[in-house]
Amino acid sequence: MSNEHAHAPAHDDDEHNPHLAHHFDTMGQQTASAKLGMWLFLATEILMFSGLFLAYFILRMFYPEMVLEAHEHLSKWAGGINTVVLLTSSYTMALGVRSIQLGDVKKLRLMLVLTILCGCIFMVVKYFEYSAKFQHGMLPGKYYTAHLHGYEIDGLPHIFFGVYFMMTGLHGIHVAIGLAIMLWMFVRAGRGEFGAKNYVAIENTGLYWHLVDLIWIFLFPLLYLVK
Amino acid sequence: MAKVFLNGQPVEHPHEVHEHISPMSTYNAVIGALFVLTGLTFAVSFADLGPASLTVAMVVAFIKASLVVAYFMHLKYDDKYHLFVFLGTIIFVGIFFGFTMFDLKSRDALNDEQETFVRWKEQQNAGKGLVVGVDNVPERRAKVLADIEAHGGGHGGGDHGGEHKADAKAEHKAAAH
Amino acid sequence: MSSAVQSHDPHPAVEPSYLVSKRGLMSWLVTVDHKRLGLMYLASVMFFFLIAGILAIILRTELFTPDQDFMSAQTYNQVFTLHGAIMVFLFIIPSVPAALGNFLLPLMLGAKDVAFPRLNLLSFYVYSAGAVFLIAAILTSGLDTGWTFYTPYSTSTGTAVITATTGVFIAGFSSILTGLNFVVTVHKMRAPGMNWNRMPLFVWAIYSTAVIQVLATPVLAITLLLLIIERSLGIGIFDPAMGGDPVLFQHFFWFYSHPAVYIMILPGFGIISELVTVHSRKHIFGYKAIALSSVAIAVISFVVWGHHLFVSGQSELAGVLFSFLTFAVGVPTAIKTFSWVATLYKGSIQYNTACWYGMAFLWTFTVGGLTGLPLSTLAIDVHLHDTYFVVAHFHYVMVGGTVVAFIGGLHHWWPKMTGKMFNETAGKIGCLLVFIGFNVTFMTQFFLGHQGMPRRYYAYLPEYQVMHQVSTIGSYILAVGLLWTLIYLVHSLFKGEKAPSNPWGAVSLEWQTQSPPIEHNFHETPHIHGSPYDFPEIDKSGAGGHH
Repeated sequence: MSNEHAHAPAHDDDEHNPHLAHHFDTMGQQTASAKLGMWLFLATEILMFSGLFLAYFILRMFYPEMVLEAHEHLSKWAGGINTVVLLTSSYTMALGVRSIQLGDVKKLRLMLVLTILCGCIFMVVKYFEYSAKFQHGMLPGKYYTAHLHGYEIDGLPHIFFGVYFMMTGLHGIHVAIGLAIMLWMFVRAGRGEFGAKNYVAIENTGLYWHLVDLIWIFLFPLLYLVK
Repeated sequence: MAKVFLNGQPVEHPHEVHEHISPMSTYNAVIGALFVLTGLTFAVSFADLGPASLTVAMVVAFIKASLVVAYFMHLKYDDKYHLFVFLGTIIFVGIFFGFTMFDLKSRDALNDEQETFVRWKEQQNAGKGLVVGVDNVPERRAKVLADIEAHGGGHGGGDHGGEHKADAKAEHKAAAH
Repeated sequence: MSSAVQSHDPHPAVEPSYLVSKRGLMSWLVTVDHKRLGLMYLASVMFFFLIAGILAIILRTELFTPDQDFMSAQTYNQVFTLHGAIMVFLFIIPSVPAALGNFLLPLMLGAKDVAFPRLNLLSFYVYSAGAVFLIAAILTSGLDTGWTFYTPYSTSTGTAVITATTGVFIAGFSSILTGLNFVVTVHKMRAPGMNWNRMPLFVWAIYSTAVIQVLATPVLAITLLLLIIERSLGIGIFDPAMGGDPVLFQHFFWFYSHPAVYIMILPGFGIISELVTVHSRKHIFGYKAIALSSVAIAVISFVVWGHHLFVSGQSELAGVLFSFLTFAVGVPTAIKTFSWVATLYKGSIQYNTACWYGMAFLWTFTVGGLTGLPLSTLAIDVHLHDTYFVVAHFHYVMVGGTVVAFIGGLHHWWPKMTGKMFNETAGKIGCLLVFIGFNVTFMTQFFLGHQGMPRRYYAYLPEYQVMHQVSTIGSYILAVGLLWTLIYLVHSLFKGEKAPSNPWGAVSLEWQTQSPPIEHNFHETPHIHGSPYDFPEIDKSGAGGHH
């Protein structure tokens, strides 16, 4: 996090690090602040998703039979492939952070590309999943028309698909944002902005991406697998 | 140069960044374990475990999540305060879930209590012309009274409680639909 | 021992203050200086306070007679909803943390800025964007759900619920970002020697507030998102017609909004802690107790939300549990109140305007806090729920507590923020008007509520008329007092005396730099050696006078 302000305060006497913002005293302070900020941000993300998870659990509690019947219409295989893809992307992202810890910018960029690639595969699989659901009329709420397409699910399946689209949709938006951030990090790495002593932006990108993975780790069994 | 401070404490080597760098083997082991666990949940989902499947799936998911958090997110080696933030968040999620679920699960509890109270009061007042107005939903009251008739009375505290609860639940559900 | 802080003799103003260090409109619009952002927030919240205040006066005027005067029931619903929504989301929540907190937090910690200055600027614009949406809702088809957006009414009414909730959703992100920024600032930006036991109590309060903002506001975001989706797609989580549970919405909403009540009042506690100790020239009584009770309130605030649902169809068992837990909030709150009174005891109290507000707070907040106890008692709440008793209770806490503390804090730090002194006599007149007007307005509402006057009605039985009229007249006095305050404060900007760097003889760090401060706050990084409340006079055994 560099800052445009070029006011060199009096205390900054030994070396003027271009990456050090004006209001911090040391790189250590700046890095620690950025990481704590990121962890707090992750806390807000977890709490935000928790509302959807709670909605899901309550849905299961109210209408257990309907949820079991409706979830059979989700493709376990698509979900499984996506899980593997997302875990792999988390792995490559972690390796990317490790590369830059060792000062290897080239490898960092390779790992970012691999991670972005995995993210894109995830989105493509998701696209096919979504379009199948759209075709079968398995849409949320009042747009639910699966019974007109020959799928009879007892109870109130429109709620299940509402929750399904909310959860995977919000998660998908997070994946898309993550892809954009990683693309930006790829460009910044190309400009030589990161090094073994200055990589907190990469680290925070990684933390964000792992969180996206973390949420999927819970989404996958709950929506696709659990009976 | 002047002494450097962080968190109000002096810093010994302000320009050195101390970060734990995990070896490749750690990352490989973690991703291996994650794949194995994914395979496990996937396989288990085909077996018919009944209600236990939710528990199994959640336990496996928690293990996977812990691995990601500890090793990929470096929380094991990180500032302990970050761990505090993370676990604190989980606790607050727990509060959110816990109290809301508690309400939803216990919503009929006192109504059931009231029904047994009605049954008992009706018997006490049988023939005295007193009306107990505890339960003011007429259909429900009629059903309770019919139930008493069917079971032939008797001060039924606990012995019919479970049965009643099931009935009330079914009725509640029917009303919701 | 002389001063707790290494003396920095206030340099003659060689360096220009933050107000004039850069010039031009753009230098304000893209500033990352926490002090300028604090002033920008101050101007914004004051603007919304004025708008929502005018709406309140309109409501009170309608209630002057039992019958309909100039508003239909529908208009009345819209006006009280806007009054509530603007007051809560655009005025009270950002008032102390974002306006005063932004200005003071880095100064009190001896930092040059908050941890993420650009994020700070972003949250100001996010807040503005949220405000635009809320105003758009007003200008299009209004909003008549009450500020709580309860389902199923909010999913079926024809008014601009989606626009308004989008506005609140966006403003919520501003709150999250500010809270996040403050937590990191308190952890990482403290000056040398500033350990946790030497932080001013205002900082402790802002810190606890920030923790709540970070933990609670995301749940509001998802709740409003679900509400928007429910309204547009009908997914059936909250709407009973689609198979959902409307009480579930209240759980989601109050999981945020009850802690949010403490987002509103905790910073007020922080201000009062500063006011009573500085203006009584006495070390704060029970520093640790006050500091930790802020944290305790922050935590307890998350387990009491069910007391809003006592008559909503929540299970009786949950009601009993929440009723019990709600009483627990009284403990840390009482610890604070007793500590403030004990601080004043035998202090050499300086009766200036800020101190008057501090004492006004002790009265109004105590009334507000104590009337919370009957409301948290499950059985009594069934009687008082949705009556004017509740209205009076939360206005005593929110207006009598937060707003009085906010205005008091504004007077206390006005010289530091603007570099100008206001007229003390004018200030005391204003304080008196506000105090009298406030109590006349809302004390009567306790009686009204107790007699069964329900809230949110534009017309009422003639039996209630006398007290409604007293209340309305009180609200006019309150409005005059607030306008009077605004006038002399603005007047002081142009005609006020130049403020010295430390007009109240306080010891905390913000008074050790010039008034108004320079852009980087301090000429050199301060080093802290003691408590922010070690007033020199005390140790000089009544020698009097400062420096």
